[in-house]
Amino acid sequence: MKDKELSDLTGACVKCGTCRTVCTLYPERKAEISVARGKIALLDAARKGRDDDLDAVQEALSDCLLCGRCERACPNQVLVEEIIMKGRADIADRIGISAWKQVLFGRVMPSPGKRDAARAAAAAAQKLLAKKIPTGSGLHYRFPDKYGLSGRTLPELPGKGFIASLGPDEARNGEAMLFVGCVFDHVFPQVGRAAYKSMKASGMEVAVFRDAACCGLPAMVSGDRTSALRCVEENVRRLRAAEPRRIVFPCGSCLLMFKRNLFSLIPEGHPLHAEAVWVSGRCEDYAGFILASGVVSRLPDPPEDEAAGEIGYHDPCHLSGTLGKGSEAREVLRRTVGRSFAEMEGADLCCGYGGTFNIRDYSTSARIGENKVSLAAKGGTAVIATACSGCILQMRDMAARTDPALRVVHIAELVFRALSRR
Amino acid sequence: MDERAIAALRGIYGERLKTSLEDRICYSYDATGQEFLPDGVSFPVSADEIRRTVLLANEHRFPVVPRGAGTGFSGGSLPVRGGVVLSTERMDRILSIDTENLVAVVEPGVVTETLKEEVKKKGLFYPPDPASLKFCTIGGNLAECAGGMCAVKYGVTRDYVLGLEAVLGTGEFVRTGVYTVKGVVGYDLTRMLVGSEGTLGIITKATLRLIPHPESAATLLAFFRAGEEAARAVAGIVEARIIPCAMELMDRTAIECVRAIADLSVPEGTGCALLIEVDGPAESVSREADRVEAACSRFGATEVRRAADAEGREKLWALRRSISPAIRQVNPVKINEDIVVPRSRLPEMYAFLSELAARKGLRIVNFGHAGDGNIHVNIMISGRDEDERRRAEGAVEEIFRKTVDLGGTISGEHGVGIAKAPFLEMEVGPLGVSVMKRLKACFDPNNILNPGKIFLSEPAVRP
Ligand SMILES: Cc1cc2nc3c(=O)[nH]c(=O)nc-3n(C[C@H](O)[C@H](O)[C@H](O)COP(=O)(O)OP(=O)(O)OC[C@H]3O[C@@H](n4cnc5c(N)ncnc54)[C@H](O)[C@@H]3O)c2cc1C
Ligand code: SF4
Ligand code: SF4
Repeated sequence: MKDKELSDLTGACVKCGTCRTVCTLYPERKAEISVARGKIALLDAARKGRDDDLDAVQEALSDCLLCGRCERACPNQVLVEEIIMKGRADIADRIGISAWKQVLFGRVMPSPGKRDAARAAAAAAQKLLAKKIPTGSGLHYRFPDKYGLSGRTLPELPGKGFIASLGPDEARNGEAMLFVGCVFDHVFPQVGRAAYKSMKASGMEVAVFRDAACCGLPAMVSGDRTSALRCVEENVRRLRAAEPRRIVFPCGSCLLMFKRNLFSLIPEGHPLHAEAVWVSGRCEDYAGFILASGVVSRLPDPPEDEAAGEIGYHDPCHLSGTLGKGSEAREVLRRTVGRSFAEMEGADLCCGYGGTFNIRDYSTSARIGENKVSLAAKGGTAVIATACSGCILQMRDMAARTDPALRVVHIAELVFRALSRR
Repeated sequence: MDERAIAALRGIYGERLKTSLEDRICYSYDATGQEFLPDGVSFPVSADEIRRTVLLANEHRFPVVPRGAGTGFSGGSLPVRGGVVLSTERMDRILSIDTENLVAVVEPGVVTETLKEEVKKKGLFYPPDPASLKFCTIGGNLAECAGGMCAVKYGVTRDYVLGLEAVLGTGEFVRTGVYTVKGVVGYDLTRMLVGSEGTLGIITKATLRLIPHPESAATLLAFFRAGEEAARAVAGIVEARIIPCAMELMDRTAIECVRAIADLSVPEGTGCALLIEVDGPAESVSREADRVEAACSRFGATEVRRAADAEGREKLWALRRSISPAIRQVNPVKINEDIVVPRSRLPEMYAFLSELAARKGLRIVNFGHAGDGNIHVNIMISGRDEDERRRAEGAVEEIFRKTVDLGGTISGEHGVGIAKAPFLEMEVGPLGVSVMKRLKACFDPNNILNPGKIFLSEPAVRP
């Protein structure tokens, strides 16, 4: 393992136990192994050779949502997210990562063409395997318990992604560039479209970053540094060449990748470091752009007749927490839907998705998520708005399980709808 | 531990007994940062499981180490002789809050803040407030007799325990104490167990005393040029017949450490700060706050800030709570002592500490519950320099001697554990140690419970 780097990071932990209070997973597991303090102790033991069962250590490290709540609560500013990702990667370097992840992260995700093909295949499979169920957020499919899909619901996959549906000359050039992200391109193209159209309301020329690789986060959190690095290198190179003035992200997790994780993959000394700094400095969140570019001032007054307080905002861990961007989206909502917006119960609780965590342990992920959405619903929220693709996937699934009338949307969809009322 | 003992434990706990190396590593440490690997970790959910565990331990002769949240500063929950760590974190129910008799009955794994919040909803107050209250447990608080900021006015954990249920080292199950305000029947076994650091019995249930929640509070932050000035202000405030519910002192280095992680503007030339809180009925609070402010100014405060709303107060308190972890950022290793001297001797103790730091060439950070004479003395060392470590150890011994000479005690709230075991005799004398050992033998004849703690040269579990 990269001993020095890790030990510098883990050495900052004084084993005070503060992280026990906030860990999303702790109430589920009720054991130290789930909290940051335990994981840090394990990594140190592995590093020093006191525990050579790296599979077991990797297993323990994987049992984490990377929600970052521990890191934000830690009085010592221990970089827990970074430690866990580094730990996963260092161990993966030694014991390898599973075959399906290698194919997905190494081959499919970096390539726009392969992702298109994969989506088409998945859309076909969905129609064959899963059962249709209507929900407040549109048609969903519930997968049967077999095939390892444990009764998940997924939205109906569209025949065409957002980028594929753009005209050949559409959105080619512009000072603002939209980084739509895999999920908002392929799974929820309506979000990609809403983001694009609402950004154009600023009067600026908006380009869509068409040949984007995946942001790399799924690979990164799985400890697959090689694939993650491939994704970010591709993106940095292409974005630098496109020379946008600003790069706008509707997905908080993609943004985290560009704002923070990028530099753990492309540190100082890496040949692309200067380019990465250039790119990262131009990246911003969707809500911030909408506020700063004057789109909000073009919004019509919110209608009077809408139910007060029925729209809440869910804080994506990466966006509101790690990146500290929680107030921008709220301001956008206030300007867009007026008094329909109200703080919802448990707004800053993690949705339980955790990317690969949801695949690894769906039942725990679902318990955390169900708790989250039912708390909101009980508090009177009918629509949960948010700004992260993982959270939307998860909360739609959770709504389908607990309260199909509950809608889960991206703030861009609300902004776009309000603009079209004009 | 042998295979048969593990198998027998498995019979009690099933899946709730963990023996993988990974699980054991996660129960090998506490906030001292030291590590000792247990042979197993069990998660009981009932007193009966604990009773059966201790009976088994007597049969197979393995140590049982109770553990709450593992936030101790003296190594109390470390399995220094191996054996099974018995974690109470899944026994975390508040069994009742009796608003008529002002009593709460809880399981040991309840997190202190959870209890405080729940009783507050009923207008009641459970005062003990260790800085670790968000994560430490009532069981750990009882076993260490945890104190906190408000000890100066409200006392410590001991003062809020009416009765206990516990499993002794013999595996016998006892009920001690009462459910009433008074009670004098027989020896006070409740207080015997409080502060016994898991060496006499494992607490399985506690009956705690509550009081009405104070109506309001105000918090003040006063800056001084020197530590002795602040120490004199502390004595002065009490002399003026004001008992604040907290009076916390932070020296220059403590302030610097906190500033490194939090937004805090500090007047030029500040050498010390006092965080003071007064509580009670709204009218008297603002009057008392005025008097505290006046007293601070009289003793040389350069600036006094005041917060009366919940948010502002919480901000000030967050500063105080972050000191302890934050100072480790300055130096990786800290030797952390929590001496107490009579309040009137505080200026003398502070003068001694500055002199000692200079004489030994050491960096010493002082903060703590000055209102009750409790100072957290932290000697900061790099951990890599042997000579520095020796000087620090010598300094600790001198500090303890001075503390005892001034009529104080070498640990106000963190307990003896392994950290202070070498100095036990210095404070209580050989006869004191001998009486304590005889008591231990009576509660735990086979030395099953938390062996290796409090007493220095103690045999392993008796064969
Ligand atoms: C940041 C920080 C701040 C702190 N501030 C304070 C403070 O202001 N005041 C203060 O007093 N302490 C403070 N502490 C120390 C610590 O939090 C207390 O000693 C606390 O009481 C320990 O509780 P715990 O649940 O973590 O117990 P543990 O550390 O797990 O155990 C402590 C002792 O209790 C025993 N024990 C635990 N449960 C039981 C049980 N059910 N029956 C019998 N024995 C049991 C253990 O064997 C051990 O000897 C602080 C610690 C930290 C990390
Ligand atoms: S809060 Fe931070 S320093 Fe404390 S135990 Fe957790 S990670 Fe370590
Ligand atoms: S990142 Fe979240 S789930 Fe993981 S240890 Fe921290 S708080 Fe727990």
